[in-house]
Amino acid sequence: MSRNENKISLLVVVTVLIVMVVGAWRISGLYNQVTLTIGVYSGSYWDTPNGDCYQILDTAISEFEEQHPNVKVNYVSGIGADDYSEWLAEQILLGKEPDLYFVLPEDFTLLASSGALAKLDDMLFEKKEFHREDFYSPCLLAGRYNGVQYALPHESVPSIMFVNKTLLAENGIEFPGSDWTWDDFYRICQKVTDPENHRYGVYNYTWTSALYSNGASLFSDDGKKCFLSDDKVQQAVQFVQKLKALNEGYTVTSKDFDLGYVAFRPFLYSEYRAYQPYPWRVKRYTHFEWDAVTMPAGPKGDNISELHTMLVGLSSRSRHTDLALDFAVLLCSDPDIQQNIYRYSHGISPLKSVTGNKDNELLLRHDIPGGGAFGNELISEIMSTAAVSPRFSKYDQAMNMAEAAVNESQNSSVSIGGLMYSAEREITEFLNKK
Amino acid sequence: MRNEKLLKDTSILMYVLNAVIILYYCMIVPATTYRICHSFSAYQFISEADRIPMKPMRMPLMAVMLFFVLWQISFRKGRSSAGNRFPVWSVCAVEIIICVLLIESLNFYYSGIALLVLTDLVNDVRNNRVRFLLIGLLTLIFAVGRYEVLPVASSRTPLSVYLEYYKPGIRMFLSGIESTLVSANTLLFVFYMVQLFAGQKEENERIQSLNNQLSDANLQLKKINAEMERMTEIRERNRFAREIHDTLGHTLTGIIMGSQASLALFDINPGEARKKMETVTQSARDGLADVRQSIKALRPDALEKHNLDQALEEMIIKFQATTSAFIRYEQEAGSLDFAEDEEDTLYRIIQECMTNAVRHGHADYIRIRMSKHDDVLVIDIRDNGKGCSSVTEGFGLRHMQERLDLLSGSLTYGNRRDDPGDGENGFYVIASLPVRKKEEEQKHDQSADC
Repeated sequence: MSRNENKISLLVVVTVLIVMVVGAWRISGLYNQVTLTIGVYSGSYWDTPNGDCYQILDTAISEFEEQHPNVKVNYVSGIGADDYSEWLAEQILLGKEPDLYFVLPEDFTLLASSGALAKLDDMLFEKKEFHREDFYSPCLLAGRYNGVQYALPHESVPSIMFVNKTLLAENGIEFPGSDWTWDDFYRICQKVTDPENHRYGVYNYTWTSALYSNGASLFSDDGKKCFLSDDKVQQAVQFVQKLKALNEGYTVTSKDFDLGYVAFRPFLYSEYRAYQPYPWRVKRYTHFEWDAVTMPAGPKGDNISELHTMLVGLSSRSRHTDLALDFAVLLCSDPDIQQNIYRYSHGISPLKSVTGNKDNELLLRHDIPGGGAFGNELISEIMSTAAVSPRFSKYDQAMNMAEAAVNESQNSSVSIGGLMYSAEREITEFLNKK
Repeated sequence: MRNEKLLKDTSILMYVLNAVIILYYCMIVPATTYRICHSFSAYQFISEADRIPMKPMRMPLMAVMLFFVLWQISFRKGRSSAGNRFPVWSVCAVEIIICVLLIESLNFYYSGIALLVLTDLVNDVRNNRVRFLLIGLLTLIFAVGRYEVLPVASSRTPLSVYLEYYKPGIRMFLSGIESTLVSANTLLFVFYMVQLFAGQKEENERIQSLNNQLSDANLQLKKINAEMERMTEIRERNRFAREIHDTLGHTLTGIIMGSQASLALFDINPGEARKKMETVTQSARDGLADVRQSIKALRPDALEKHNLDQALEEMIIKFQATTSAFIRYEQEAGSLDFAEDEEDTLYRIIQECMTNAVRHGHADYIRIRMSKHDDVLVIDIRDNGKGCSSVTEGFGLRHMQERLDLLSGSLTYGNRRDDPGDGENGFYVIASLPVRKKEEEQKHDQSADC
């Protein structure tokens, strides 16, 4: 018995010693070397050439390491933007996710709802370097889920309308102004469309794109209600149907636009920035002159674009959340670092002070022959009014249901109103189901 | 004994089974995680689960360690024969805490551990109330500690999402194994409990029957005791008869024969008759000595060893010790040096009165006062018992009376209430005895000799 007792007490002593040593090592680790890991993709998420995320990150890292001499910041390079979501999911599954990581716009809802991202509100409150009002509010909104800030905006890209200037000139139409409306849009399309010569008005302008510029939203902010039968929504649906009717049954393809047969196509601002300047300009749309303009305003809305925002979030399981947040705040709200977005990427900084800066406009216009249609005032306007797609966990499924209902209404003889009402009820029911 | 062994074997089997179940979960979860990562379905997995899983190695590390600790506690507890190295409640508390942690570390997939811990603890605890408390608590943990029931568990990734990764055939096979193991555990638990309570019933019955045997034996013993008392009495009586026959009978026969002979010789030869009478006298004296010898053999032991004073004190002390009645003994009669028959009588009266006071009067206080007035010794004995409603001459009172009559003494007794000078509750006995001195007795003897 006494031998056993000796053994047990020895075991206890050894365990306590190990715990103490590990604890001391951990604690001392806080004061010595800390390694902060970052999840980042290579290349450009915005599907544009020569975008380089690492450049921006490296600058931020060297500045951060200068500010925090005891911190070493690491990232794994070489994960393509296409593989990034899966790579991140794998790291989370294995419990090895980085302390902070870039969050692609389409992944944000899942990462926030699954609890992978840390809630930032309380921590941000204590960060003196962070000021909410420095950002365009739609950009910050993109990082909110269920009323909680889960991520900070790093770079935003709004949707804009590409215009085939050559086609417009051929028809003697003036380039539309940035405050153009659905009526202007429809009139131009009507003029351009000539099915016999294979000329069409617009490609890929869907009722969901039309929604935002008519001041409508399909879902309530909390994702519990659907407004499919709302007047503004119905106007958008009917407007798109009207446009479609011009084509006399022909379905316009992207190839038609590329070959210069189509006047308009919604696109991301990043592509405009990437392909407008030389040398990339020659890579695309060589058959015609092109430029871009804001989205046309609906009768009850404005020239509002949908905004896509690249976010930076913190792992909810990180042991260095405070340091990670410091880095995220530096990366997203330091004007000098954000400035680099104009050098190395094709998005727009979510910071008002950077995007509204005249020097940046020069930098931008320098690239674009003829100056282009977008000055910083217009971009600032687009950024501050842009719409952010709703973020709740059932969004994708609910959106599919709404699309199906709209498609059905276009092909059926039943009264559209009744169909929309029943679809709306069905979707709302689905949203509230546990 | 057979039952104990069966219980122990069942318990070991349950430990083994639970180890297998825990290993099952600890293998499924990390193995599936790594497979998912290798087949690039991690994003889909998180979308389906809509929550991020625990680190894959957390479950195996935690669960195996906790189970090992639980097993160690159970094993060591079983081996330490003293059993009181740790109090039972602390063992219970530790095991229940480990049980809860273990269920948590298994993502609430499996709560059968609670049944294992219950079988482990229910045997240690003998108190029925605590036992039912344990059964209630652990059954609650078993019922509530399930993924489907507990709200806390919804933050964990359900096992079904892991199994979703596999093809339907393999999925069915895996969940088949799981449900078989889990049901086997439940079955073993039920079997264990049935055995435990059946064994307990058997033991209760055994104790009952032993009790019956004991009371039978007690009754028997009482009977034998009474029988023995009667036998002793008979033997004593026989001895008495023999003694009387041997001594008095013999002497009296001699005296009768001698005196008849003397009578016959009286006229013929008065000298011879006188001689004969002298022999008869001698013979009567011898007879008396014999009788005395016999009576001496019947004296109380205490009086044989000590004088009356010491013998009385010793008797009172012993009586107090055996009955817990308090006895106040006031000896105001000076030296108690009396003839043997008087001493015997005094001793027996006091003894009888004390016995009566406790046995019949249920007294716990007795006062004995002894005083002497002009060679008359007065013994006044009073108790605080319930007295006697109708005084019958049982209880040895007649015996006392007879003894005193022989020595020309007197006896009064009754309820103290009826004594005009007293009036308290209880019983009193007053014995008066004219006493002779030892020298007097010797003189008396010599005068008898003459």
